[in-house]
Amino acid sequence: MEKPVLPRRGFLSTVTWAIGALIAAGFGVPAVAYVVGPALKPAQTGEWVPLGSTGKVEIGTPTLFNVAVERKTGWIVNQEKVSIYVLTPDGRDFIAMSNICTHLGCRVRWIADQDSFFCPCHNGVFDAQGSVVSGPPPRPLDRYEVKVEGDQLFVRGV
Amino acid sequence: MATRLANWLDERIHWQGVWQAVFLRNVPKVNWLYTLGSATLFVALNQVVTGILLTIYYVPTPDHAYDSVQFITQEVTAGWLIRGLHHWGASAMVVLCILHMLRVVFHGAYKFPREVTWWSGVFLLVIVIGFGFTGYLLPWDQKAYWATTVGTRIAAVTPVVGEALLRLLRGGEELSAVTLARFYGIHIWVLPAGLLLLIAFHMYLVIRIGISAAPKRGE
Repeated sequence: MEKPVLPRRGFLSTVTWAIGALIAAGFGVPAVAYVVGPALKPAQTGEWVPLGSTGKVEIGTPTLFNVAVERKTGWIVNQEKVSIYVLTPDGRDFIAMSNICTHLGCRVRWIADQDSFFCPCHNGVFDAQGSVVSGPPPRPLDRYEVKVEGDQLFVRGV
Repeated sequence: MATRLANWLDERIHWQGVWQAVFLRNVPKVNWLYTLGSATLFVALNQVVTGILLTIYYVPTPDHAYDSVQFITQEVTAGWLIRGLHHWGASAMVVLCILHMLRVVFHGAYKFPREVTWWSGVFLLVIVIGFGFTGYLLPWDQKAYWATTVGTRIAAVTPVVGEALLRLLRGGEELSAVTLARFYGIHIWVLPAGLLLLIAFHMYLVIRIGISAAPKRGE
């Protein structure tokens, strides 16, 4: 008798491995989606956040505003304090900057004496507009969208 | 290529003998009832995998347990599936264990020389029930809370040591954060360690002794 191309034992073995692979994929694919899922969720930053009165901003000097923003991380809703520097050359146009150093995320501080933002972690220095003067930061301070309604300042993207 | 690699490895660690003993061993002519043990093992594996995944988001404290479970079920991608598999797998474990035991009882397969295999199986059932009891509290909802209140209260009925047993289980007078934390610890560390060791022993005996043939009429 001629030897079959695919013997019974070989066929069953292949089928068993195939079913095993299917089951492994059935667990593996959802498992990966489950683990990476929350990491892929975009941050919710659509709301306009009221900062306060435009009158509080000193002309030519970055002025610090502290606002509480409601953040949902996982299942926890928290009031998070966000610090924003606002700069105006003339009292009409405003730019709002994050106080987070673009290098590795430490908080920068405006040093009036030296007319610059200073980051204590690795000596990053930014000028009043947030551009890098010296040190390791790879890009200027991040900016937020600004709008003025009446005399109220609002920012978005926080 | 694969064959050469397999042979290279076999010359060094002799895995093919083990493979032969475990997967290619001869068994008597049996029927589908003999797959109940393997089915239980498969569901146990499901519980291990989905259980490990659940610990990635679950937090065993009274202020976070319920919310983290809701987060898993409603917001995490495939979280409903992972939790569902663990939830239904838990029930399947108990059902399959008992069906497997019934098969062994009705075929008289627990008799000489397989008594030790049977005992290890009985301990495995106790561990599975322990998993069910401790896992039931973890979602920290009303059902979990009151079921465990009642469940631990039952232990207090034990003569003499009852009250001490109740306090030991709850980690105090009341069902509390301490209870939740210790149930979690038992559920994910103590019981899995016992389960895996006993499964290994149970499987070793099954393979070493070999399974019994289905009894014939009149035997």
